[in-house]
Parts: sequence; C-alpha cells; structure tokens
Amino acid sequence: MNNPDQSEGDRARDEVLAGEYVLGVLSAENRARVEARIRRDRAFAAIVARWEENLSPLNEEYESIAPPDFILPMVERRVLSARRRQEQGGMLAALWGSLALWRFVALASLFLFAGTMFFNARQPVAVTPQPLRPLAELSGENNAVSLAARYDAANGHLRLTPVATAAEDQHSLELWVIDGADPAVSLGILPQSGEGELSVPETLRPKLKDGVTLAVSLEPYGGSPSGAPTGPVLAKGRAQMH
Amino acid sequence: MKSKDEDLSHLVARIALQDRTAFRAVYHQTSPKLFGVCLRILKDREDAQDALQEVYVKIWRNAPRFAGSNVGPMPWLGAIARNHAIDVLRARRPPSDSLDNEERQFPDGAPDPETSAVLKGEGRRIDRCMQELDPHRAEAVKSAYVEGLSYQELAKRHEVPLNTMRTWLRRSLLSLRECMER
Repeated sequence: MNNPDQSEGDRARDEVLAGEYVLGVLSAENRARVEARIRRDRAFAAIVARWEENLSPLNEEYESIAPPDFILPMVERRVLSARRRQEQGGMLAALWGSLALWRFVALASLFLFAGTMFFNARQPVAVTPQPLRPLAELSGENNAVSLAARYDAANGHLRLTPVATAAEDQHSLELWVIDGADPAVSLGILPQSGEGELSVPETLRPKLKDGVTLAVSLEPYGGSPSGAPTGPVLAKGRAQMH
Repeated sequence: MKSKDEDLSHLVARIALQDRTAFRAVYHQTSPKLFGVCLRILKDREDAQDALQEVYVKIWRNAPRFAGSNVGPMPWLGAIARNHAIDVLRARRPPSDSLDNEERQFPDGAPDPETSAVLKGEGRRIDRCMQELDPHRAEAVKSAYVEGLSYQELAKRHEVPLNTMRTWLRRSLLSLRECMER
C-alpha cells in the first residue's frame, strides 16, 4: 500500500502531505487518512500545525460577513445539552440512587399492546407484521435524550428509537426495566444513534408489564460492568399497557 | 494586536473550562470571519450557515486541545472552519464549472491597509515566500487554500494536466517550506 499515511520517516513527503492537507487539495478519502494520522502521530500533527500557522495570513482573503442571529442560539443549545450530560456523569450514583431526582415524564403514549397481543394470538395465520405499537416514550431532563420504545409481543422484540443522542464519547446507553422496588434489570445496550432493536430474553418478557419503569442510563462502553446501573439516568418512562 | 491575540487565546482557553460567556465572546469576535470562510468555500448561504454551526460546536468540543496546540487563536479557529467547510465540499458533487470560471474573473485585491497592519512576522514571510514562486503556481497555492479547490479543480482552472498540477503544488510547498525556514 502506498497510502499518504505510510510515509513516516520521509520528512519531505510528510511536509508535502501536511501542506496538501492544510491547503485542502486532497480527496475526502485522503483527508480522512491524514486526519487519522494527525491523531496518532504527534510529530506529524506538529508539521500540520506549523503549516496552519504559516499559511494563516492567507485568511485575510476571507471577507468578514455577519452570520444570521439564529446560529448562536442553535449552537448553544447543542453544546449545553452535551455539557449537561457530562455534568450528570459526575454525579452518577447520587442520581441513580435518588428517585426524587428523576424527572418523571408522564407519558401520553398509549398503546394497544395487549390488544395487539390478543389479535396475534387469535389469528396466527395473519403473518403480515403489524406496525409496532409504541410502548413507552422515555425522555430526559430538558429532552437531552428521548427515546420511543416499541414492543412486538409476537417475537419479544423491543425496538428503541433514540432521538438526539449526541453523546460523542465512549459510552453506551443501557436500557433497564425496573419493577417497583426490585433491582433494575438490564434489557441490553442501545446503539448510539438511529433505530435500535433489542431482543428481550423470554425469561424477562414477563417483566414488561403495565406500570414498570423503563430507564436508560449512561454506562461505560459496552455496558455496566457490574450488571447494575452505574451511570446517570438519561431518560425514563413508565410503561402503560392497555 | 498582540494583546488582542492574547485576549482571544484566553477566551478560547476558557471555553475549555466550559465557560459560556467566553464562548459567546469568541463567537461574537470571530463568527463573521469564520462565516466568510464557510461562504467562500461552500459558495452557498444555507450550507455555510449549517457549516458555521458545526464549526462552533467543534470549537466548543476541541477547545481543550487549543492550549497544547502551539498555534495562535485565529489560525486555530480558522483551521477548524476551513477543515470543516472543505470536508463538506469534498462530500458534495464537484461544484459547477461556471461558478469556478466566474470566480476567476475577479482579480486579487491587495489587502487593505488595516489588515496589512495586522500581519505578523509569519505573515510577511509567507508573502515574501509566495513572491519567490512562479506567479501561476503562487496563484494555484492561494486559490487552493482560499477556496478549498481540489487538485482536479485546480488543474481544470489552470488548464494543465492533473499530474502537472500535483507537481506544481508539491514543489511549491517544498519551496515555501524551505523559504520559511531560511
């Protein structure tokens, strides 16, 4: 392979590659390679930084143009919700331990979960998958995170659609079911973004019943090491089955 | 001007401590310039607005790295804006030729006296080093930097084969580096 990131030791090549990167002439693919190298190769990162500094007088070519007013509030909303999540990260145990701190979001989401189940049971030949009914909507303080849970009683699939999970760090979101005062039981790890689906083990399916709480906590990457929640609760909601 | 740079350095460093007031101050001081960067590279107002948001989110997130970067605050901020805008540009289809040609009609204006006064030692050096290059090549280097043109676009604009353009720019970069170290 003759990748741009394999020229360690070749000073002139590194200078040129770093210069090409800072000029901006590289393809998307090669830019990504150079960026990966910047992250792992300090000497190379310093060469890039020097080009940035050296070429920065060319920034005078750019006119100053006032951006529209709505930009700053949008940026602030994004960075502050990320910050809030970090702050929560500092007070994990306290948050988890204190039910009072959990913001209870009452859920208007009502579902014909039981109805669907009966329907499926009585008409087993109807194989056309029913659209999944919402089971619960989970949201966090100031909607830092919100999730919609949909449960397919026929196959035990619990599908979570996270919205606005901007956690860019190495953490996992873990879903728990809590029945009254019983310890939280993990239902699995959610994907960081997009729609996720968890298969609820048969033994845990009876846990998904009216009134139990579904909660999502921020855990070390890969999930809670102890099997019990360790991170702050980002979102939770009560399951309502009718 | 030195003190203004220092002030901006302090503000950026305070963003690393998640200081929202500092973040706002940096935004107010620098967003017109960085919006200018996004607009010039992306040549589309809506794209530039989206890019500017991403740029400031990155500034917030990357601020802890600023202190160790050994780069002045404006070059550091400018690099974040240029890199993001160029990434967006590369992810797009190549821009239309007509826009490129149109852009080419504008002669390069000399910097106005005020901005010239702001030039630091490094700035004067790059100008001198650019003058040592063949004018065509200097122009290619400058338009690559300012507009984020790819090798293909530069080759088309300067009507030379792609490999020739590569050779031009790579040699120019080596000459610039040699000149800067002199």
